[in-house]
Amino acid sequence: MSTVSLFDPAGPRGKRRHLLLEIFTAVIVTAGAYLVFRVLYDKGELSAAAWAPFAEPGLWALLGQGLWNNIAAAAVGMVLSMITGCLLAFGLVSTHTLIRRTCRVYTDVFSSIPLLLLLYFTSLVLPNYGLKLGDFWFLVIALTLYSGAVIGDLLRSGILALPPGQAEASLALGFSQVGTLRLVLLPQALRSMSPALVSQLIILFKGTALAFVLGGYMELLRSATVIGQYYTRSLLQAQFVAALGFLVVNVTLGALAVALERRQNRLAEQEPLPVTAAEPDPVPARR
Amino acid sequence: MSFLVNHLVDFGQGVLVTLGLVLLGATGSMILGTLLAALRTSPVRTARAVSSAYVLIFRNVPLPVQMVLFVFGLPVLAIQYSLYASAAIVLVLYTAPFVAETLRSGLNTVDRGELEAGRALGFGPMASLKLIVLPQAFATVTRPLGNVFITMVKNTSVAALVGVSELTFLSDKIAVDEAQPFIIFGGAAVCYLVIGLVIGRLVSAVDQKVAFSR
Repeated sequence: MSTVSLFDPAGPRGKRRHLLLEIFTAVIVTAGAYLVFRVLYDKGELSAAAWAPFAEPGLWALLGQGLWNNIAAAAVGMVLSMITGCLLAFGLVSTHTLIRRTCRVYTDVFSSIPLLLLLYFTSLVLPNYGLKLGDFWFLVIALTLYSGAVIGDLLRSGILALPPGQAEASLALGFSQVGTLRLVLLPQALRSMSPALVSQLIILFKGTALAFVLGGYMELLRSATVIGQYYTRSLLQAQFVAALGFLVVNVTLGALAVALERRQNRLAEQEPLPVTAAEPDPVPARR
Repeated sequence: MSFLVNHLVDFGQGVLVTLGLVLLGATGSMILGTLLAALRTSPVRTARAVSSAYVLIFRNVPLPVQMVLFVFGLPVLAIQYSLYASAAIVLVLYTAPFVAETLRSGLNTVDRGELEAGRALGFGPMASLKLIVLPQAFATVTRPLGNVFITMVKNTSVAALVGVSELTFLSDKIAVDEAQPFIIFGGAAVCYLVIGLVIGRLVSAVDQKVAFSR
């Protein structure tokens, strides 16, 4: 996360000015922090009474179960959307016009519909067709519909960014079209797109919090709300802990994505492949 | 088909509320995002730390969580706004870090040599920022910034979680009432697609306008 410095190293006068600015900002930050503390303190949000329920292990079990439900939905959704994504990527680079067009329409449509709309749709429509699934599967299906489209597009750009010699060599060696894709192009695309895929996993994980709307699915946000209903004194505290839980998981995943990207760059330096694609964008560019 | 006519007004209203959220969200997050990017690139260490902390927190806490915390949690502290205003504020708070990161990556693409050349030609720090760095930075990030806003269009739907009657909320309500989920959700999907396409076109137009030869 380096930033190009827009400034020359400061001289003596500049240094003094920077110091003044430093103090000024520090004062503002401290004042802001104090204000927040004051409000929280006056309302008794920091008092022992408000945090008392958190001494019970059962409450942590509920929160832990909630976070686990989020993680499980995101994990299953990721696996399923990787599968659909790979299939879609095959379709998107297919030489068959009809297949390519259909896949393009699918990816464009499903990557621009809000996840919540899909979730409402799956939870309302699927039961009508005799699919008596739990809320978990409604969430996972909605996630897969959306994320599969995004991943399909990611992998497509990963495949197209590979040097054309890869496909040519593979075809010349007698691999079939599908074999070339499956055994030569896709593994490389998966590797080069791995940071973007982890970013997509973060988006997926954030999306699982939408299951709050289903009411019956005890994900972390719902767990916190239930705790807030039970211990009305501790609503804010429960929500804060829930937010912290999401934050920790996402920051960890984000660090993983950065580490993967570093490794990627290091590998690219070792073997000078012509990297033609721009930096992978978690949001697919619209064409 | 009569239910379509009955609900056309509702639908239109939903689209308008969504568009309002998009407009407010885009303007607000652009302002806050620029501020964050400015703090992040400033020579003041505390300011940089504040900006990084903000970006880290607000980008990694899911939007639904922020929305619910803001609307159902903060009233405990006697902080309460109308649902619509709350949704717009949360949308801005959540989108601003993405805008800031995009702008910052734009600043990073400006070659160091450009700055040195500007300095050699006698441009002061402010003048070089205004005339050399920012025009190039904004031109490079038009498209990524457009993507951030297209994602934001989808994120406006999260306002439905707290009961703002925007497009997603209304289509769910109508779909439950009328038991015609396919047509109604399909219609809502088309609306989102059209909004996304229009913004995409707009971004392309701006991008062509500001494009410069590299």
